[in-house]
Amino acid sequence: MNEMTQLERLRAEIPRPGPADLQAQEDRLLAAIADPPPVRLSRSGERPRAVRRLGLSLAAGMAVVAVAAGILVVAGDTELDAPPVLHVMPVKAETVLKRAAENAGRFPELHPKPGQFLIFESQTMDTVEVNDAGGHSRYLSRSKRKVWLPVEGDSTGGFIEGEGLSPSAYPGWPIPPVARESLGRSGPEKLADFDERVEYLRTDYAYLSRLPTDPAKMYQHLYTGLSHGARADADAWQRVGGMLTEAYLPAAQRAALFRAAAAIPGVTTVGEAVDAAGRTGVAAARTEPALGIREEYIFDRKTYRYLGVRRVVTDAVRAKAPVGSVLTSSALLKVSVADHAPVEQ
Amino acid sequence: MSQLSREEVDDASFIERSRREPEAFAEVFRRHAPDITRYVTRRLGDGVAEDVVAETFLVAFRQRAGYELTRPNARPWLYGIATHLMSRHVRTEVRQLRILERRGVDPVTQSFAERSDERVSAEASRRSLAGALATLPRGHRDALLLVAWGGLTYQEVAEALNVRLGTVRSRVNRARHRLRQELGGINPMATVSEESVHE
Repeated sequence: MNEMTQLERLRAEIPRPGPADLQAQEDRLLAAIADPPPVRLSRSGERPRAVRRLGLSLAAGMAVVAVAAGILVVAGDTELDAPPVLHVMPVKAETVLKRAAENAGRFPELHPKPGQFLIFESQTMDTVEVNDAGGHSRYLSRSKRKVWLPVEGDSTGGFIEGEGLSPSAYPGWPIPPVARESLGRSGPEKLADFDERVEYLRTDYAYLSRLPTDPAKMYQHLYTGLSHGARADADAWQRVGGMLTEAYLPAAQRAALFRAAAAIPGVTTVGEAVDAAGRTGVAAARTEPALGIREEYIFDRKTYRYLGVRRVVTDAVRAKAPVGSVLTSSALLKVSVADHAPVEQ
Repeated sequence: MSQLSREEVDDASFIERSRREPEAFAEVFRRHAPDITRYVTRRLGDGVAEDVVAETFLVAFRQRAGYELTRPNARPWLYGIATHLMSRHVRTEVRQLRILERRGVDPVTQSFAERSDERVSAEASRRSLAGALATLPRGHRDALLLVAWGGLTYQEVAEALNVRLGTVRSRVNRARHRLRQELGGINPMATVSEESVHE
């Protein structure tokens, strides 16, 4: 008996469930399909009419609509499970992002071609939670990373080369020995086995360069599938970060993104912020009260070039760290174009 | 009866239809949930499996717009999503395999009716197998078990894991080699490293 036959017998007593065993699961799935989060505007099961949609959305998003620029956009593809929700870009705009938008065209632009790779070199700091035989510990892991991403396609076609740097202490925690185990170089190796992002969260150059250059439409894109309220605004703000971190947009889309991001409710200016490479700049930020964390996108204070992102504690109880602690930060050091992927090690 | 139309036979048609009529996705669930439930239960036990399977189909539903309709069979796609979701439970999986290896008691099968006659004869090899599975790099274990327990072809595994066919062959071969060594009592000190081979 060979090893495959023996393996096939292992746990073979577990039965294949019949339809009756799975009925409850199927009902749950159908319920989730019929009533998709985050909100449902109509209980009747019929597709809500435009007027009804508008009325409800006005009620739901009163603060936003009151200062609207007069541009109405409908976010959410009704073909998908996204609820039809109106997202109107407000006129108010945060200053740093506005300046960044005005300056977006001043930098030499890269023109990567299909088949090529964009190379992003950055330095990062992330909070790591360890739960092993040695107990529970936290530390700030620091590294340099060089990532190759295909001009078209998801991150499974990408490669990464990393270098672990000496770790930093998480506020109030000693650095555990395990933190020093993965220092040194690694890769280049495949970046990811999976990338299950939905279409509208793609950040490859080919996709980003097809996004609208009109800020109101870019605003709509940021809210695809989202409802109204603080949760949706927080998600939209996160998506901005997704398009800035290891992603490259043509200048026109970049300007539109900054203008759209500047209009997200709750976005404020931070006068001084330091990125993971120690560069000081100004930041546009949004606080997520539920987490007690402020997420800042940092820009050079003169040229308004994007420098990096960091997450800072604003509520010690919720974030479980002293106010002002930096929990995550990154610094984008260089973006370039290459014809080929690196040779895997 | 009349012959079955394409619409009635392949998964892609139902997925395409579900983009307009979401309830049509229920058919995808009915076709694949039994096998996927058994597969996930075999790896993680029924407690975790229920949630993983529910999430697998919900994730699939949400991503149906991106499904490649030229692939009539959704099996690799669904197993791929399930594998990805199971990766969050890798510690649970390994811990349960270790318990089986050390004590000969399998936490995963405890709640199912035992067939003790077969059990006893296979006792030693079950424990060795569990130990070997626990030491495999995750990508190797995924590939091996998709073949052995999921019944996927190498090509389907490549689609499910989104790796090259040559990588699947290499992972399965290395994993089988490891199992043979363990069953043969050789107990090699070196563990297999995760690496992919490109054709």
